[in-house]
Amino acid sequence: MTLLPWTRKPAVREIRPGASVFEDLALPLLPALYNVASWLSKNPTDAEDLVQETFLKALRGFESFEQGSNFKAWIFRILRNTYLTSRSGLAALRTVSLDEELAEQADSGPTLYPEGAIDRQTPEINLIRLTDRAALQRAMEQLPPLLLEVVLLCDVEEMKYKEIAAVLDIPIGTVMSRIARARASLRTLLDTDTGLKRGSLA
Amino acid sequence: MTEHLSSTEHLSSTVLNALVDGELAAEQAAAAKEHLDHCSACTSTALHQALLKTATAKAGQRYQVPSQLEQRLRRLASSQAVDAPDLHRNADTTPWSMRRFISPALAVAATLLIVAMSWFPIQRRMHTSELASAQQAALIGEISDLHIATLAANQPPEVISSDRHTVKPWFQGKIPFSFNLPDNLPSDTKLDGANLTYLHNRPVAQLLYSIGRHHVSVFVQENSGAREQHPLLAEHSGFHVSGFQTSDLEVIAVSDVDPVRLTGLVRIIEQAQTAH
Repeated sequence: MTLLPWTRKPAVREIRPGASVFEDLALPLLPALYNVASWLSKNPTDAEDLVQETFLKALRGFESFEQGSNFKAWIFRILRNTYLTSRSGLAALRTVSLDEELAEQADSGPTLYPEGAIDRQTPEINLIRLTDRAALQRAMEQLPPLLLEVVLLCDVEEMKYKEIAAVLDIPIGTVMSRIARARASLRTLLDTDTGLKRGSLA
Repeated sequence: MTEHLSSTEHLSSTVLNALVDGELAAEQAAAAKEHLDHCSACTSTALHQALLKTATAKAGQRYQVPSQLEQRLRRLASSQAVDAPDLHRNADTTPWSMRRFISPALAVAATLLIVAMSWFPIQRRMHTSELASAQQAALIGEISDLHIATLAANQPPEVISSDRHTVKPWFQGKIPFSFNLPDNLPSDTKLDGANLTYLHNRPVAQLLYSIGRHHVSVFVQENSGAREQHPLLAEHSGFHVSGFQTSDLEVIAVSDVDPVRLTGLVRIIEQAQTAH
């Protein structure tokens, strides 16, 4: 047999010397990623697609991940950006009301949010509602995506404002005003969540 | 948090939120506490905020990862671990039997694409090297995507053996050509088994090797002779492709092992073809 000459290049590059293994970082976050993905996409199929796509992107981009920096914020940012460009994400963003956008534009600092109206509701009703997990979940479902995600990252994922700002790529002041708006909306939604609706689910 | 706090003013919603979120600086937290000590309204609101946060945290934990998805992503993530063999070996929880076939599965996808592209008549219409290299770059990008996406196809080899005298005869009658397997492999390299696959209705032998913990697929096909010979060495996302041709055979190897060792194995296989 004849041997044909082949030009072979030397090693192009070594693969991430000293890098942490992707699986050690990513797999522990899978429950959190899937939970948030499910909340955002509102159906199991889209949530699975979203998480898988996030994993694929994270794997491909893992070389660009700065070792030692915040992996959780990094991968949640991928999840969030993937969601925004997904079918369910685009649909959700299209239905964000004009009020939301206007309120967003007014977010230039933490002190601009009007006081009183939202913070001084009668706590008694809400305290009872707060024990009603299903009612709270219904309220969360009704939050606009931009407010829901901030609640999920802050309360469920227990991220610091700084991390949330990194995930959402917004200033910390905007994080704070979104959290204020999200919690105010949750209270309002809880107050308007009627017993009739709850009864129909029972 | 730069907001000025006074013990006589009610706390703003931002401060209350930051309080329950643990985002107040020590000084601000102290000022807030001082106010709360003598303001029952703000204390009530703060308590309420804290309860809302706690309730939301619990209510938000709602969805369980489907086990099928978890398994799929576990395999996917562990494929990356193969890239960094010296680290975190103890933390590796994926069964070896499972990870063993991941790289070959990827390699199948990669090689099928590469081979399909280069054997396709369309390739011959590419006259400029620019076009060809752009095409190849795009192709390799696609392959990298497909690599990972193909991970779910996770099957053991049809013949499992490290003995070349078992593997080679297994192909008799299955492929219309013959090839030699090398006798002496480097100490960290071994033959895991082989598969029979098909490419454009033509049978292809897929030999599965391990180099250390890296897996290599070597595809052997009859040389159709209809194709211009061009060097095949590609690299993308840690996967390397290398190959050679003889007058009878076309051989292409794919792996995430470093290209020097991959090329080393390819050369050993190449030498085995001339030794007989």
